[in-house]
Amino acid sequence: MITFPQTVEAATRASGTFRAGATDLQERRHLKMNGGPLVDLRDLSGADAITVTPSGGLRVGALVRVRDLAADARIRGSYPGLAAAAGGLGTPQIRARGTVGGNLLQDVRCWYYRRRPVEGQRCLRAGGGLCLARAGDHIRHACFDLGPCVTPHPSTLAMALLAMGAGVEVAAPDGWQIRTIPELLGDGTDPTRAHALGPGELLTAVVLPTPVVGERSAYLRAISRAHAEWPLVETLARLLVVEGRVVHAALALGGVAVRPIAVSAEPLLGQPASAAAFAALGEAAIADASPLPMTGYKVPLVAATIAAALEQAAEAPAALALPESAE
Amino acid sequence: MDLSRRGFLSGSLKGGVVATAGAGLLREHPAAAETTEERTGEYAETLDVTFTVNGAPSSISVDADTDALEVIRERLGLTGSKRSCGHGSCGACTVRVDGAPTASCLLPATALQGRAVTTIEGIGEGISGGIHPMQRAFMVNDALQCGFCTPGFVVEATAFMDAWRAENGTERPDRDTIAAAMAGHLCRCGAYEAIYAAIAQACMGAFDEAPAPGTFTGRADALEKVTGRARYTVDVRLEGQLEGRVLRATHAHGVLQSLDLSAASAMPGVRAVVALVEPGRKIRFAGQELAAVAATTRAEADAALDAITVQIDPLPPVLGMDAARADDAPAVFAERSTKRTVHNASEGPNMPAPWKGNVRGPLNTSMMGKPAGAERTIAASHTVISQTWTTHVQCHTALEPHAAVAHWTGEKTLEVHLSTQGCNWVADDIAQRWGLRLTDLTLHAPYVGGGFGAKATLQQEAVIAIDLAREAGAPVRVALDRDEELTVGGLRPATEIELTVGLDRDGRLRAMQAVSHSDGGAAIGGAIGALLRLMYVCDHKDFIDYDVITTAPLGRPFRAPGGPSAQFALEQTADIAAERLHIDPIALRRKWDPNPQRRRLYDWAEALPIWQDRATHAAADRGRFRRGVGLAAGGWFTLHEAGTQVQLEVGPDGLIATSACQDMGNGSRTVVSWTVAEAFGLSPDAVEVRFGNSQWVHGCLSGGSRTTGSIGPAAADAAGKLQEALALSLAEARGLGEAIPTPEGLHHSGGLISWAEALSEARAQGERITVVGRRGRDPGGYLLPVALAGIKVGKDFPGTLMLSHVEVDARLGRIRVLEAWMGVGAGRIVVPPLARSQVQGGIIQGISFALYEDRRLDPHTGRTLTAGLEDYRIAGIGDVPPINVHFDEAGFEGVLGRAAGLAEAATVPAAGCIANAVHHATGWRPTALPLRPDVVLGGLS
Repeated sequence: MITFPQTVEAATRASGTFRAGATDLQERRHLKMNGGPLVDLRDLSGADAITVTPSGGLRVGALVRVRDLAADARIRGSYPGLAAAAGGLGTPQIRARGTVGGNLLQDVRCWYYRRRPVEGQRCLRAGGGLCLARAGDHIRHACFDLGPCVTPHPSTLAMALLAMGAGVEVAAPDGWQIRTIPELLGDGTDPTRAHALGPGELLTAVVLPTPVVGERSAYLRAISRAHAEWPLVETLARLLVVEGRVVHAALALGGVAVRPIAVSAEPLLGQPASAAAFAALGEAAIADASPLPMTGYKVPLVAATIAAALEQAAEAPAALALPESAE
Repeated sequence: MDLSRRGFLSGSLKGGVVATAGAGLLREHPAAAETTEERTGEYAETLDVTFTVNGAPSSISVDADTDALEVIRERLGLTGSKRSCGHGSCGACTVRVDGAPTASCLLPATALQGRAVTTIEGIGEGISGGIHPMQRAFMVNDALQCGFCTPGFVVEATAFMDAWRAENGTERPDRDTIAAAMAGHLCRCGAYEAIYAAIAQACMGAFDEAPAPGTFTGRADALEKVTGRARYTVDVRLEGQLEGRVLRATHAHGVLQSLDLSAASAMPGVRAVVALVEPGRKIRFAGQELAAVAATTRAEADAALDAITVQIDPLPPVLGMDAARADDAPAVFAERSTKRTVHNASEGPNMPAPWKGNVRGPLNTSMMGKPAGAERTIAASHTVISQTWTTHVQCHTALEPHAAVAHWTGEKTLEVHLSTQGCNWVADDIAQRWGLRLTDLTLHAPYVGGGFGAKATLQQEAVIAIDLAREAGAPVRVALDRDEELTVGGLRPATEIELTVGLDRDGRLRAMQAVSHSDGGAAIGGAIGALLRLMYVCDHKDFIDYDVITTAPLGRPFRAPGGPSAQFALEQTADIAAERLHIDPIALRRKWDPNPQRRRLYDWAEALPIWQDRATHAAADRGRFRRGVGLAAGGWFTLHEAGTQVQLEVGPDGLIATSACQDMGNGSRTVVSWTVAEAFGLSPDAVEVRFGNSQWVHGCLSGGSRTTGSIGPAAADAAGKLQEALALSLAEARGLGEAIPTPEGLHHSGGLISWAEALSEARAQGERITVVGRRGRDPGGYLLPVALAGIKVGKDFPGTLMLSHVEVDARLGRIRVLEAWMGVGAGRIVVPPLARSQVQGGIIQGISFALYEDRRLDPHTGRTLTAGLEDYRIAGIGDVPPINVHFDEAGFEGVLGRAAGLAEAATVPAAGCIANAVHHATGWRPTALPLRPDVVLGGLS
């Protein structure tokens, strides 16, 4: 059964799995990992626009395609790190079809989980009693063990929006709410859930705070090939440097834990924007790392990725104010 | 769980099908029972979707989960778009939806509502000639080999071109821009270099007009491949064709207790069920075929598989060489009788060898040398280099999966469509296995979407399709999914090579000794010693091979079996020797290497600026990005298949060459068309080549670098015979006293008749002349007096020499190849543009092997974890550097046609070459593959 609600209200009252771009869901349906009714958002209106908010930020509709987020002039000018992250995930076809909301709420890519389920070999996420990756081959998995599942959170946008301090708009049958990214995703301790939305709740938009004018940022994804690979480690690094000293910084990490991790940039504040200070932050960021037997290599890789991203950010163009004439 | 949902029925449905009141069929997967609400049944409810395809309106009834590719391929019959990975990694299914390139395997069909779809079949519509400039660009640049990924690439590239032109006019897009745009596509043959060129040139407007007459218009089957008209086995649709699906073991090791097929047989749509393992037999890898079902639809077949009850007494899996060699390891082949049935992963015959536990060997390949003195000589050598090298499994990963369609047209007559490298060879095997006369069996393989060694023999997909078709009394298709392909589709065995060499003070090689272990899963046939032996000369060689048998998927011959692994060890050993003795690496190899091809290539390499200036191409500091230049040599054998034939006919339909041979992307059709065209002074387009039907004259296997050297001379022989026949016929028709065939034409007392004229005249007179050309003997004789399995081994050895410039990101552990060079000495190059493609593809597969590919198995069950193309990573276009190919065409005077194969020689040196460059860049010596970021970071720290 499938329904095509045209309004958010109708969508929240429909019963079933929401389907937006389907770049994640279609494969899971094919593999029989997901079944039952679908609520297809194809005909939903009003959720695919990027608009200026009253507080001077941007509201990105949940059905905005990842490609359009990456290409939007306001995003590129005022939130360049986010644009880079959006442009660096998946493939051009995935970005053209996948939506912002779908990217945030997608299911994980663990090689034990993402296949046609086999009796007796079900992982925690599939209703089994054991994280098969933890007990088995987890070379691409977490180095921050926030358990019980050790697969990395798959959403680059979740990591990037965490670094941006963005919020999300959630519609429910009884009204609207603004939530944080951690509230949207949950803390990862319930392995059967890819996110923490309740029944009938629909993610309708991402809300970006007012841009930090003059901020410089970079997105870095540690992978083995040039393109199209799930990250071993990824980070979005933001820096505001005044007279050579860091006055504001924010970072988040992906590919390393069951949820994206915000990195405290506290040690960097007041420091010179130097390679040494960036390296020190990288080292500080791994203080709490808890690698699995096969992911020890990710710990220095996290430190190196952070340091390299900060160096790259320091050289990046500064974020602009949103244009006055914006709608 | 919410049981009140409409259409949901609960119950202990082990894959059962339950009819619901109004909603058709519902199927509950076993895994769903006690999991989340989302994991419930499947609804079959249809809705109509209206859209246009290539301009034509279409209204199709679909269900909520139908994907757009299913609609396009199965419902509309537009099979140019391919299903290959199933999750948006490979791009073979790309179509344009309202202009936007889209992976149609991930697109719900419902999303097509109101949209305009353009597929490869419609991409040239409205353009003069019906061919899009991008299609021409791909043809002329030879930006395709097997052609299976080509429609997807072309469709995406047309969209890129539209966007590029709109923004930049006819400016040239750079490599990085093209790579980023094409990042959602994979090509296993490795046509990327030509794809870069094709896209750039098309964007610049070079193909807006049809190319001038007389210029190269592409390989013989290029037009069929760029238009999506080429029909591969997966595209075959016969009347009443059923879908065959296979139940596979999910645990690596055990004994089958029982297999209950009764419930499956009673399922809706099921027409045949066959058991593939008898109770009491052992299961030796996860993925092993247990039973198969043929049903009207794939969904029905899958449902029936779920209804099969299997009981297996599990045994501990034996994974990896160390586990298999442990004293207490369970024996994978415990009984003597089963050892005779063990699968052979090599191209050669099984040599007898002792078994001890899971280790089979020693196999000593020293019958031609003097092994006894090796150890003594090494002990007395001035310099000894000894190191253990390990290489990993590489999965063949052809983009067309293994696929077969079997159709019994009578009690003893059979038609099989098969994605195979060996039309005649497999037909022989089928005839023998099912007791058929060869004349009653036709095997069709007109297009083959890549093979690389994995499709050379009769394999399970064909056996199962034939048995199911027999049982069902209807045609059955079995096409592997990508996860099956990455499990049972074939792999290069992992190796462990302990190589020791002894050198004198001048760097001359005095003795070599190696003990090699190969792990091709529950298979034997690893052969490293023969490859180590191939390269260099010294007085004493002692090479011993062992197979280590594990409960992992089976190895198969993979492009130069053993070669890349052997050269990873040997070429790094040469590099170490050069460094220790302070001798230039090329100068050192000159002391070791008698191969005349490589000796000429050493001259070529020494003159290359990259080699002369390699010190300056290395990074001066020890910072983040470190650069280095590496070199490695390679080689292979000169082989041909003695029985190879080409039939050539001139008649009303033109000039037609026919052979049972198949073209899996290696270009054999074009070798024939060029050879015949050259003999007659025609354009290759004037020769039609028909391949891939076992009823036609005997074609060689596409494998072992034998194909060009077999089919080329057979084609030349056919051309010569046709010329003689034409001479006779023309002399009679025109009453010429004496007519002598010469390369220019027919000389007679009155002058010269060109061959083109002679052919037209024969056609004009309604004549039909048919001749059969054969692969003759090499004038220079052979290395071995007899043919081995129909294969003759020539006295000359092709040589290759590869250089690479690499950059190592010391922080993030990533290795990037910046540029590569390869010199090839394989005699005469028959079709230069295709030979270049083949060499580039070999290098790209080598880069992919060295840096990215990493097949992983679950340590507890032996299941393949890297079962999709997101997790099993092959090189993409962005990973491919500019690759310069140099052909040295001298030598091979003793070989008929003077052309040896080059596919294997081109892939052999790559991993060793990159490793040497990494060492040059960083000082770190990689001893184990693959060079993943974690390995690199570990090595550098």
